[in-house]
Amino acid sequence: MAVKKKFPYRSALVACNGGCHVQEGQSCENGCIGCGVCVSVCPFQAIAINENGVAEVDEAKCIACGKCVRECPQKVIHIHECANYIVALCSNRQNGKEARQVCSVSCIGCGICEKTCTAGAVKVTDNCAVIDESACLSCGMCVVKCPRHVLTDLRGIIC
Amino acid sequence: MYSFFVNGCQVSTSKKQSLLRFLRDEMHLTSVKDGCSQGACGACTVLIDGETCKACVPQTDRLEGRSVITVEGLTKWESEVYTYAYGEAGAVQCGFCIPGMVMCTKGLLDRNLDPTEEEIKYALRNNYCRCTGYVKIIAAVKLAAKIMRAGKIPAAGADDWMLGSRVHRLDVEEKVLGYGKYPDDYYLDGMCYGTALRSKYPRARVLSIDTTKAKALPGVIDVFTAEDIPGENKIGHLKHDQYTMIPVGGLTHYLGDAIALVAAEDMETAEKAKKLIKVEYEVLPAVHNIQEAAAEGAPLVFDEETTNVQAYKHVSRGNAAEAISRAAHVISHHFETPWTEHAFLEPECAVAYIDDDGDVMIISTDQSAYCTLHESSLMLGTDKVKCQNALVGGGFGGKEDMTVQHHAALITYLTRRPVKVRLTRAESLLIHPKRHHFEMDFTMGCDEEGHIMGVKAKVASDTGAFASLGGPVLERACTHAAGPYAYENFEIEGSAYYTNNPPAGAFRGFGVTQTCFATETLLNMMADEIGITPWEIRYRNAIRPGGVLPNGQIVDESTGLVETLEAVKEEYEAALTAGKPVGIACAMKNAGVGVGIPDWGRVKLIVEEDAKLHIYSGASCIGQGLGTVLVQMTVTNTDLKRDDIVYERSNTWIAPDSGTTSGSRQTMITGEACRRACEKLMEAKGSDKTLQDLIGQEFYGDYLAKTDPLGADVPNPVSHVAYGYATQVCIIDEKTGKIDRMIAAHDVGKAVNPLSCEGQIEGGVVMSMGYALREKYPIDENCKPVEKYGSIGLFRAHEIPKIDAIVIDKPGLNVACGAIGIGEITSIPTAPAITDAYYRYDGSRRYVLPIDNTPYERKE
Repeated sequence: MAVKKKFPYRSALVACNGGCHVQEGQSCENGCIGCGVCVSVCPFQAIAINENGVAEVDEAKCIACGKCVRECPQKVIHIHECANYIVALCSNRQNGKEARQVCSVSCIGCGICEKTCTAGAVKVTDNCAVIDESACLSCGMCVVKCPRHVLTDLRGIIC
Repeated sequence: MYSFFVNGCQVSTSKKQSLLRFLRDEMHLTSVKDGCSQGACGACTVLIDGETCKACVPQTDRLEGRSVITVEGLTKWESEVYTYAYGEAGAVQCGFCIPGMVMCTKGLLDRNLDPTEEEIKYALRNNYCRCTGYVKIIAAVKLAAKIMRAGKIPAAGADDWMLGSRVHRLDVEEKVLGYGKYPDDYYLDGMCYGTALRSKYPRARVLSIDTTKAKALPGVIDVFTAEDIPGENKIGHLKHDQYTMIPVGGLTHYLGDAIALVAAEDMETAEKAKKLIKVEYEVLPAVHNIQEAAAEGAPLVFDEETTNVQAYKHVSRGNAAEAISRAAHVISHHFETPWTEHAFLEPECAVAYIDDDGDVMIISTDQSAYCTLHESSLMLGTDKVKCQNALVGGGFGGKEDMTVQHHAALITYLTRRPVKVRLTRAESLLIHPKRHHFEMDFTMGCDEEGHIMGVKAKVASDTGAFASLGGPVLERACTHAAGPYAYENFEIEGSAYYTNNPPAGAFRGFGVTQTCFATETLLNMMADEIGITPWEIRYRNAIRPGGVLPNGQIVDESTGLVETLEAVKEEYEAALTAGKPVGIACAMKNAGVGVGIPDWGRVKLIVEEDAKLHIYSGASCIGQGLGTVLVQMTVTNTDLKRDDIVYERSNTWIAPDSGTTSGSRQTMITGEACRRACEKLMEAKGSDKTLQDLIGQEFYGDYLAKTDPLGADVPNPVSHVAYGYATQVCIIDEKTGKIDRMIAAHDVGKAVNPLSCEGQIEGGVVMSMGYALREKYPIDENCKPVEKYGSIGLFRAHEIPKIDAIVIDKPGLNVACGAIGIGEITSIPTAPAITDAYYRYDGSRRYVLPIDNTPYERKE
């Protein structure tokens, strides 16, 4: 379906890397559980369950209607601006040790991103990195420094 | 080995380092500028697989197989399009951000040849520009897209190079294509790297310095301390109170004081060596602010002083107290303005070496090559020193003092090795003098009709760790606090205090940005009390030709405040009628140093072997476009064409000293010297000779802008040769609470290049939007500035409102073909205009900058 969008484009973002591979029984209580509710409610077929068993949004199709955000039982989806391609893909609020146990790519709240960020845009809130997109300069320095691959460049350039 | 492609060629490296360091240090692709190495500024933006990326971020080990494009890798067609578009739009000022902006342009246009304005702003928004206010860069991208679509480059809009012509600046190509050299772009054979160990404490006694271990580190050439300085340790722009290095037994004044200087084969070794230097301190209580500095029994910032008062000024004319006592309306208030960081894109850097004459040659980025020469000579105790300006990546007042030049000179003098000394962005934020924080109490009295009866004020500034230009800034704050109005009774008392904070000095507006905020805000409050519009109260009080300013000066025919008010009248009243929140403020700013200080402009025109006229002047172009001004001045005042003329960057052995680029003075003062030199050239040339006939001849012109000292015993002292005037209007969008539009009308006497003039206005307005709304430079309890470059709150491309720059020519000044400098005034009325608009928007008067409760305020 062709979708008309108004610039600056916005899209839903699933803040979970799927590192715990929900299908294997191990689980992170804050992450995506791959239930597929978002997939079924999306009017634009913009969401699919990826190889890690978690939901992933196709930003080209999404119009940020917010339906998935409201329906997600895990509250793991939020709307962001597509121009901000540096994102934090984790919602785990457990402390570092516990977060490490449930997932190989979870935020452990180490704060390296916060110290690295020149713009003061990343803050560890409830043990999890959160980006203030209005302040972020999309440099990706946090992506380079993040030991857990929580911070990600959606374009795939910086890794 | 990590292998990837740069501009189409396969490269490999075994060293894990940032892409920026690889491109610059190993490939010498110096279009990729190092502005911060923190991912903030964007000056190092390149394309990686077609996507924009700041080169300081990715490491070489993560680039396997990727394709990197820099400005050097543009096609010939792209190079021509971007050079034309950026030139025609007037998008280039200091040029340091430009290669990064060009790569953002390419990144966008490669996938979208017909972008909307919003899309362009988003493509540029992760890159900072401090000069242009982005307006003309956005226009350049739009124009480049249009040309790309048409497939053909049109003829330049203006090419006669006469005064008033919107010609492309002469330095566009070297800045767009990135081959123009800033000091950091010099990689000399055998060059070593210098860096200073800074004080650990803002105020402490240095008890001992042990450099043994550092000296023993392989790769370290030498480590120097104050004992090694051959001449004077203390230097300074005016007052010599800035230590080159703190000696054993000496007191530190702030965290930026150098304790020792390391020279090493590479920067990594130099940084390691600094950690091996052992310094013992006796930590002493620091002075954090004006109140602590002024308190009885306060610790002294300087051993040499008996007080922390660095400067005191008292300006009085008429009888302000008596006039205010008779006034029908009296309003008093307390105001505060913040520290502000210049945030020029290019961090301080100097390269020095011993030249063929055996002299110390300094290649510097500064606001006066002669200042660098004088201060470095003083410190070295020899006059065998030369200085050459490279390109200067922005200054705004922040490059008037010595930061790296003297250190580079010292290392090269002592080691005989070429050396580069460059501040990291964090050092730059700490070290160069900032805009003064001011605390001000103002009282204004008006009659029933809103005529100002008198103004009385007391102000104090925090001038930090050394004098820099604290005294003159305070003086200008005091002399201009009266505003551009005709009244007789004015009194102000000002004090500048030393503290252990970073130093404060010159910053675009030079003290007037601070006191103007107070005066103009009071005037807006007064208009409300009297029941007339803020426009009307200004029109009633405005200084007009032949009128007398509160400083006693009778102003000349070029005085155009009323014209600037009239230029905004229609829009202002339309906004009022439509019920939009609209604010207004006026300003005046001197062009030239004034107040009796000998202020010389000097230009030498030499016809060289190439049969071209070379313009030499010891006057720095810091991005404002002085070279273009002087060429336009020469074309206008001779029968030569643009192609007959070569502009030479400032140096100290051919070019005569033409003073510091400060006080909006170069266009007028060096411009007039240039005009006079042109007269001599034309006398020799006549109409019958050609430049070929004049090869080897020199034509010298100078001009002394003569003024009277402050408090001169004459009825109407001439404080300044000329003043620029301005009115700015701010209109707020009621729905969003954001600024919808800024209108800035500026009287410039004669606009040499209206395109450059607009660029100055737009850049000044956006810079002061930051000052008014968001920029902060907080200092912690250890006297340490806490913000990074990306978090001081600089405005970004997608945040700027529509800006209408109105350039008004008004003849009447009898020098420099009537041209009055515009550099500083562009930033002065902005903050009070914005503050007034927000009062109209939400009913809250604000007296402290940056103002609170706006959508621009940063979330904590």
